[in-house]
Order: sequence, then structure tokens, then C-alpha cells
Amino acid sequence: MTTNRPLDLYDIQGNICKGYGRFGFPKARYFFLEFHHPKRAQHFLKQLVPLITTAERWAHKDHPAPEEKPTITTNIGFTFSGLQALELPELSLRGFPVEFQMGMRERKAILGDDGPSDPQHWDPVWQGEHVHAWVSINAQNEEALQQHYLKIEQLISESQSGVSIRPGHKGPNGELLPYQDASAVYENGKPGPKEHFGFTDGIGNPYFEGCGNDLSRLPGRGKLTRDGNWVPLATGEFILGHVDEAQEYPPAPTPKLLALNGTFMVYRKLHENVKTFQDYVDNLAKDFDGSKELLMAKFAGRWADNGAPLVLAPDDRSKAELDKTLAELTTQANNGDQCAAGQLKALKQKWIDFTYDDDKSGAKCPVGAHIRRTNTRGSLETEKEAFNSKGALVDRRRLMRRGLPYGGHDELTDDNSEQGIIFMCIGASIERQFEFVQQQWVNYSNDFKLGNDKDVFLGNHNGQLTDKAIIQAEPGSGKAPFFCTHLPRFVETRGGDYFFIPSITALEMIAQGIVDPA
Amino acid sequence: MANTFGDSYGLTCLCPIQNGQCEANDDNSFDLASYDKITRRRLQTLPQNEQSPFAKIPNTYFARLFILNDVFFEQGNDVKRDHLKSKYLVFTSNFHGELETYLEGMWHNAESEIRNIWQYAVGFERVNNAASFIDYIKKCQLKTTLFFNGSNDKSLKQQLKSLYVKQAFSEFVLLNQGKNAATLKAEFKAFLEQIQLNNLDSPSWRPGQTRLTEASYSIPTTTPENS
Repeated sequence: MTTNRPLDLYDIQGNICKGYGRFGFPKARYFFLEFHHPKRAQHFLKQLVPLITTAERWAHKDHPAPEEKPTITTNIGFTFSGLQALELPELSLRGFPVEFQMGMRERKAILGDDGPSDPQHWDPVWQGEHVHAWVSINAQNEEALQQHYLKIEQLISESQSGVSIRPGHKGPNGELLPYQDASAVYENGKPGPKEHFGFTDGIGNPYFEGCGNDLSRLPGRGKLTRDGNWVPLATGEFILGHVDEAQEYPPAPTPKLLALNGTFMVYRKLHENVKTFQDYVDNLAKDFDGSKELLMAKFAGRWADNGAPLVLAPDDRSKAELDKTLAELTTQANNGDQCAAGQLKALKQKWIDFTYDDDKSGAKCPVGAHIRRTNTRGSLETEKEAFNSKGALVDRRRLMRRGLPYGGHDELTDDNSEQGIIFMCIGASIERQFEFVQQQWVNYSNDFKLGNDKDVFLGNHNGQLTDKAIIQAEPGSGKAPFFCTHLPRFVETRGGDYFFIPSITALEMIAQGIVDPA
Repeated sequence: MANTFGDSYGLTCLCPIQNGQCEANDDNSFDLASYDKITRRRLQTLPQNEQSPFAKIPNTYFARLFILNDVFFEQGNDVKRDHLKSKYLVFTSNFHGELETYLEGMWHNAESEIRNIWQYAVGFERVNNAASFIDYIKKCQLKTTLFFNGSNDKSLKQQLKSLYVKQAFSEFVLLNQGKNAATLKAEFKAFLEQIQLNNLDSPSWRPGQTRLTEASYSIPTTTPENS
């Protein structure tokens, strides 16, 4: 096991270590820059550097820290063509991993971006190689967001046409906008954790060494040891210049300082065909032995309303019991019952801290359910002690997910209205982590012994008979498995690219034009 | 011994290619090209999957043709290195059954392709029938060591039929989910009639087929009970 070593959190961009949504920033705006003149673009970056939010801990009532939580956050990342436009030395450029050099469009065969997801149908902003940088603002409210956007826009206008905002994001009424807004979905006036299909999302992000997280968040988020405990994942799975799970430094460009404390980020605008999804579920639920909610939970691996995992409540009856317990404990805890509060906390811990050890057949959580595909936990060790640790096959495939839902402001959301998820994920290797999961676990099922089946939500289905998913039944129960056939495409890619998120040190070097690989 | 694994055979042969060159008029380009280059071009333009010549040759599980340019040693600087005196056409095939039967079937089903591929192999000019082809291949054969058979021992027809039945059965399951026992029984009877379990020729997957290309099974519009 690797050992904890403190990270230089002041040098690491904040979005790597913090999911801002969890810290009270439900609003976000993403916009994309094009560089027209390297020197002027560098000058612009110099002005931007002081605005960049780092990963330093923020003061909290339970742990004092020198940094107060800001009202807004700012982060930046670059595409390969962006780094070329900034005239990084050729030797440094050639040191970047091939998939990053190629960019997301060119990887469409691996990612399954075909048919309606083909890059030719993406939002205009993604046509051509003009997207050079991604800038994100996360804010506690709309007003702060708008103010900060104007501030950065001002810096851009002062760049003497060295930098421009690349327009062309399809907006709610089909109009083209210069930015992509994203927001938590509000319920009763409060930002919630739901996405537009109605599922509670963003629950199980990974926990890695030195990330500054609260240790109580470790169980279920780190990696599984042979004895069933959870320890943090190696830093190098998520941040360059640090040792990864293979005890190696992840491939990175030279000089070392360019890569150290930086990482890669995948940005994908994923449109959700809400009407198609609702119709499909309504129709299929008629034949399903259980509620519509259970059917939806079987697709996801979690109950839509509160995110409880199926392994904890595998059917309608146990879910009703769980909800009752949850409601009772919440009431008691709200009335000041410390014991109930403790029990509630322990119960909620089970939302994350679980394995599929008691559900090898998938009778509780289907083997092909979304959360079981994308984070297999220890379930791929099908033969006892086949690997060094139970999670050996997943520890190098973890995705640090960022991002928020977008659109869906209309009363009537259907396939044509604009809504979905701005999916962002962070990792030291886009190829090994995101692309592998997308290709092998989302769009293929050999590892799960499910043939060609795909993820119900994300799979590039086409509504054919064999576009199917299986809901397993308990062996020996006499019940038949349930086959969901003719799966249509619920999610379509509408654009995206791969970004390098440099450290503050590297960003300053890029801004000064002094990156020197020699 | 090592050439076989159950009823499967692992054939590896290295056929030296003549040194020299001639006018390559294969593709209407009359440039001078060495014999190995002409041979490589022919290999690279062979049709694949169902159109592959190997799809016509009975019982081929898996076959491969390539040109071996030379051998490489990754050792220190002061080691004596061997080099090949010519380039080799390498032919490997995993198939069901006996070697001679297989090669005979190969000659009878793909003679023109064989003549085209091996045209510039040393000594191939003396091959003019199945018997001389068998002799030729045997002379070029290497003993297969560490033969891993990625297929089972069944004949190709049996394997293709199994793949067909597997696909058709999963479609049967998907199409008949939730039906009552009587209907299901009738449908299954119709299914068995349609797939003809004991007829290895048809319906079945085609030799060379590598993926699901079409629905294998459909519910008859009227089941026998209803008609």
C-alpha cells in the first residue's frame, strides 16, 4: 500500500479535489475559448491566473482553515489544439498521451458516438478544432455567476482579439449561446441531486490519498482490500506526477513541472431523451413483476427517489421498510435525538459502503445495472482470491465525476427540449479510465458475461429486438429473469472534448511562455 | 503430437519466396516489384469474413497468411546474428480433422486462390494437383509447439449451427417472454421446426461470419395450433 503524502493543494486546481455541487455551488457556466494570437493569449492567461480556484481546504464550522469559501470558483483546462495555439514546445506537446492529442471527435469509434451521437450532429461549438480552452465558473447563485462571467469577458475583450469566446451551444429554445449553463435540478425551490430522468445522481465519487477529504467519506469510495476494508486510492490515479495504483508515475509530458499536479478531464454534453425514457418505462412496467420505480431502480442499481442502492433494498417491500425507517429516524433526529441521528448517519453510510458479495447472481442489483457497470467494486473477482485485491480490476478504472445537469427549464420536457447532463470526469489517463469504462463496460459486456448488452442509459442502442438488458432473478426461486428488449437510445452525445487541467505552476509557465522541455 | 489438440489441428508452414522481381501486372500497374512485394499485395487485398477464400475451405476455424521478412534478436551487441536467406510466406491454420483431408479440401475449393498466393514460392511451380499440394505444404511444415486451440473440437458445421441456435434461441426468449405455458409450448415447437436442430447445413451461420447480421428467428404469423 502506498502511503499518504500531503498534496500541495494550493498548486492543484480546485475542481480536481472538490465536487463544487456538494460544497453549495449549484450553478455553473462553462465556456470555451479560442486563441488567435499566442502572446496576447498568454497575457490573458496571466490576468486569469489569480482568479483560478485551488484545491485548498475551505474554513468550515468543524475545521478552521485560513481560506474562506469563495462565492464563485474559476477553473481552466486546455485542449491539445489549445496548447498548440499557445505554442508549447513541440517536444512537450508530443509527450501528451495519444488520445488527448487526438481529441474526443477522433475517438468516436471507441466511445460509441455513432448515429445521432456522431460528431457531425454535435453543437456548432464543437465543429472544427477551434475549442482551445474550457473555463468553468461555479457559483452559489445566478447573480454571482453572471457578475463573474462579465469580469472574465472583460479580460477577454482586453486581449486585443488574442482570445475570443467560441460560441455555438444549443440553448433551451434552439438558439445558439456563447456558453453552456448548467444547474442542479431544483425541487421545491432547493437544489437537489436529481438529473432529468429523475434519478438521484453523483453519489459514489472516488476517494484518493491526499485529496483533503473527510476520512468518514472513505468507506465505499476508496479501494477494497483483501480483508474487506476500504483504503484511499493512489493519488496518481487522479493527479499527474504522483504514484498510481501500479506504483508507477502516469504517462505525462515533459518537463515534469508541466505535468506535476495537473490532470486530464473529459467534457461531454449528454442529451437526455426524457420522453422516450418515460414512454419506454411506462410501457415496460406493464409486464414487469414489480413497481415502475423498481424497474427504474433495476436499470440504475439505485432507487431513483433517494438513491438507496438495490443491494440494500432489492424489492418494493424492502424499499417501503427502508423508507419507513428513514422517515422515523429523520423525525427523531430532527427532534434532537442524538442516538437516532447516529443511526441515521450509519444508515446513510450504506448508500456508499457496500459490495455485491451477497448478490453474485444479480438478483438484487442486476449485473448490468448502471452503477454495477461503471463502478464494479469487488464484483469482477468471480473466483475466490483470483487477484491481489478484490477490486484489482476496478481500481485503475475509477472516474472522478464532476459536472451538473443542464436545461430542462420547460414545464414539458420531451426529447426535443434541451436537457441532459454536462458529464465531466477527471483522471490521470483518459484512455485507461474513461475510454475503457465507456467502451468495455458501458457499450459492451464481456466482463460481466452478458454478451453484447449495453448500459441501459448510456448504451448506443437502436431500438432493435436484441438491444436488451436482463434483470436477473434469484436462482432457485422459480422466477424467470426479465428481458428488456428494443431499448432505444436514451442518451445522445451533443459534443465534448478532452482537456488538460494544469497545476497553478504549469498554468503560470504556460502564461509566461517559458515551458522548456530541454 | 503437438500439432493436434483433440480433433483440432494446428498447422504452421513457412514457404520461402523466390528472390528477384518481375513486372507486377496484378492491378494494372506494370511496375517492377519483388516477388515478396507482389505476394504481400495479394495477401493484403484478399477478401475477408464470408468472402474470404478460407470460408470456402471446409472446417477452417481460423487461418492466417503473412510475410516473414526476417528474424530479429534482441540481444547484446556482440552476438552473432542469423538472418533469413529469403522472405517467407507464412501460413497458419487451425482446423478440424486430419491434415491431408483438410489440404485436399483446400485445393479442391480454392485452387485458383492458392495458385495466386503461392505463385512465387520456391518450388511451387511443381505443384499441379491436390497430392502435390499436400506434399508441398508438408515439406514446409513446422512442428507446432504450445498449440492453444481457441475453438472446441467440433466440426465447423456443428459450431456454426451452435452459434446460430444460440442466437435464435435468445431471440426466441426475447420474443416470447411472459407468454402462458400452452402458447409457449406451441411457440417452442414452431421454433424447433424453424431452426431444424439436426440439419447442420441450414439454417445456420455462414462460414466466415463473425457477427450477428440479421434476425435468426421470427415468430411464425400463425402457429401450428392456430392454423
